[in-house]
Amino acid sequence: MSQKSHGSNQSLISRIMNPKYIMVYATIAIFLIIYAFGAIVYGDVGFTTLRTFVNFFTDNAYYGISAVGMTMVLITGGIDLSVASVASLTGMLVAFGYTRLGISPVIMMLFSVVIGVGLGTLMGAAIHYLNVPPFITTLTGNFLARGVCSLISRESITIEHPLIDKLAGFKITLMKFSEGEWVKIKPVTHINLNVLIFVVMIIIGTIILQHTRFGRNVYAVGGNEQSAKLMGLPVGKTKVAVYAINGFCSALAGIAYLLVVKSGWNMALQGGELEVISCAVIGGTLLTGGVGYMIGTMFGVLLKSVIPALITFNGHLNSWWGKIATGALLLLFIVIQRAVVTYTDKQKAK
Amino acid sequence: MPDNCILEMRGIEIQFPGVKALDGVDFFLRAGEVHALLGENGAGKSTLIKCLTGVNKKDAGTIIFDGKEISPTSPQNAIAMGISTVFQEINLCPNLTVAENIFVGRKEFKRKVINKRAQELMKRFHLDIDVTRPLSYYSTAVQQMVSIARAVDIQAKVLILDEPTSSLDENEVQLLFSVMRDLKAEGLGIIFITHFLDQIYAISDRMTILRNGHLVGTYDIGELTKFELVSKMIGKDMEAIFDMHPSEVKADASTMLNADHIGAPGAVHDISLAVKQGELVGFGGLLGSGRTETAEMIFGANHITKGKMEIKGKAVDIKKPFDAIMNGIAFCPEDRKRDGIIGDLSIRENIMLAVQARKGFLHPLSRQEQNELADKYIKALAIATPDAEKKIGELSGGNQQKVILARWMATQPDLLILDEPTRGIDVGAKAEIQRLMIQMCGDGVSVIFISSELEEVIRCSNRIVIMRDGAKAGELVGPFDGNTQNRILQIIAGEEVGA
Repeated sequence: MSQKSHGSNQSLISRIMNPKYIMVYATIAIFLIIYAFGAIVYGDVGFTTLRTFVNFFTDNAYYGISAVGMTMVLITGGIDLSVASVASLTGMLVAFGYTRLGISPVIMMLFSVVIGVGLGTLMGAAIHYLNVPPFITTLTGNFLARGVCSLISRESITIEHPLIDKLAGFKITLMKFSEGEWVKIKPVTHINLNVLIFVVMIIIGTIILQHTRFGRNVYAVGGNEQSAKLMGLPVGKTKVAVYAINGFCSALAGIAYLLVVKSGWNMALQGGELEVISCAVIGGTLLTGGVGYMIGTMFGVLLKSVIPALITFNGHLNSWWGKIATGALLLLFIVIQRAVVTYTDKQKAK
Repeated sequence: MPDNCILEMRGIEIQFPGVKALDGVDFFLRAGEVHALLGENGAGKSTLIKCLTGVNKKDAGTIIFDGKEISPTSPQNAIAMGISTVFQEINLCPNLTVAENIFVGRKEFKRKVINKRAQELMKRFHLDIDVTRPLSYYSTAVQQMVSIARAVDIQAKVLILDEPTSSLDENEVQLLFSVMRDLKAEGLGIIFITHFLDQIYAISDRMTILRNGHLVGTYDIGELTKFELVSKMIGKDMEAIFDMHPSEVKADASTMLNADHIGAPGAVHDISLAVKQGELVGFGGLLGSGRTETAEMIFGANHITKGKMEIKGKAVDIKKPFDAIMNGIAFCPEDRKRDGIIGDLSIRENIMLAVQARKGFLHPLSRQEQNELADKYIKALAIATPDAEKKIGELSGGNQQKVILARWMATQPDLLILDEPTRGIDVGAKAEIQRLMIQMCGDGVSVIFISSELEEVIRCSNRIVIMRDGAKAGELVGPFDGNTQNRILQIIAGEEVGA
């Protein structure tokens, strides 16, 4: 056998160079390259400030929250096209419930989380037990949620409630310790609630995927579902749970979006599911399942923010270049993924 | 009933639509024995195993395991009771690390713990690999070892090994056997299924033979000679089946292929070889010694960077398989599931592929011509099928192999390269394939035959090229005698043995 000896006390380098991390490294590297480009060209007009960096998180936080659940779904080899509609439905429910029915937004938020988890569970069950392809099942879920949105109201409903304002206005101002006292970082940089939720969800997602039995089952199901079954793993439960978690993330993303727009609209976040999926894929999650990391997804979200930021800093470019760049990135990553898979196959053959 | 039985299966009957797959089969497994389960494809071995592991439900009979009657409902259920199976196909997750694959779904879970334990386990298998790498990073042989490690590390009392050695080379097989002996000493009952007769005699204590869903008998290993065993398996006299001799190469036969010090970086180097018209040249050597790589190089799947190659006395530069096909070379690859058959296409379509590729898409074969060609080869190769329109995926391994052979024979090649054509198929089909090769040589086709079973290489070849470490280590010219095998083994082993 040609494999080199490693021994149980393997070096840090060999641990870091583990081929399973290649895709995540590629994402981080591309983010750094684009960031470095921005820093060189627009460094003098504030591209390198902490505020700009934090804004990368702020801009797409709701997509990021949803992408946490999506990453898990994709790792099992599935897909969920209902996330944006469910998020939109959440905003609709809260806005309608308070404005028209006078129900407290807290109760409506809890209710919409229950709806999100419930719908996710149902779809997961249909996918596993009825063997309906995830694409079809969740497309149905997408239409269903969007339809209910329009049934509730076909106009945008604004919501004005002290709690919503309070949550939306919540922010932590970043400070630094300078010359013996705490001073605000200049330019003043805030972290809002959505960014906090996003980062906390990424951390929770990482813990679930990397440090729980459930997380390992998720990878196993995506690697080879048949094998996972033969190894005695609870394949059905794992798949249903993953869609339920994703339903939770969708609802949470809906709440985060509500805090940004402070209204519910039946056509909100149209096409958002594809944004979410592309975040995960750019972050190195394989659409064929089995591979993906939360940290990669986080950088996928950041990559989606850094490109529009560059266009804004440029000031002349049409903002649609952002879409084109995202498309190009997606293509690049799918090509890289293919190349990595082909390369490892070749390695193995030797 | 024998003493010390861990598993008793009595009067097992399984009915499939139209056929009785098992009819009153008894099977007794003792603790601490390796028990070979034998029979041709379709004899009912797999069905018996599937019944034991809860995949198929039995229609009649009883299973008593560890003193209690059981009826497993699913593989998980069987595993939980202590019956573990390692299949020929690797049933692990390629994306998980080696350690995760061994421990997923079990009590031990923390990374540090499982990495350490997996490393120890792999040491016991004499494999010093990094268990934190994804499984897909390693060769099939290593993956096979990992799946066995997983199976035995679960508290199994019965271990079923279904064709575990078919992708292992000789050293790895020995390694597996030493692990099997350890496990046997620990009191595990092992059911061993294989097509390799030598391996049965090397490791088994007893054997049970099935034929057409019926029990032929259970014997101690010393009770039957290899010939008697095979005769019982196929229900015919063995002598007649394997009585074959390589066809004579005509004294004035022209040289078909002449390779002069050819090589490709990273694969093989310095290969010189000449194949005459109508000659059968066998490639011997260990798995990974460069046999397949040499064949791929001749076929253009691996580009030649050094040396010269001549076909029928004309210098050729073969850059891609298409060039080779146009020069009359055909190549039947080793892994028929991956590289050979297209399971959803019919036998006719599978046979047609290479002919059509050679003719070009501008000259389609008419349906009439296709039917004639398919029927001709189905008849010539005795492919067991009701008609040419059956999907190839539904055929047995031996018949699939014949279809692949037909595909390349239909192109009427001058040189046919067969990489492990007889792997994983039963004795009867094996003999038929060998006979076909010899017959083709008699018709003037040159054949390069690669096999891990020296015995069949010696039986069929006019000449044997022995490979070692990516280079040619020696060449023997027939006719061969009883001593040939030792000489080949010496060449494979290198100077150490000779000294």
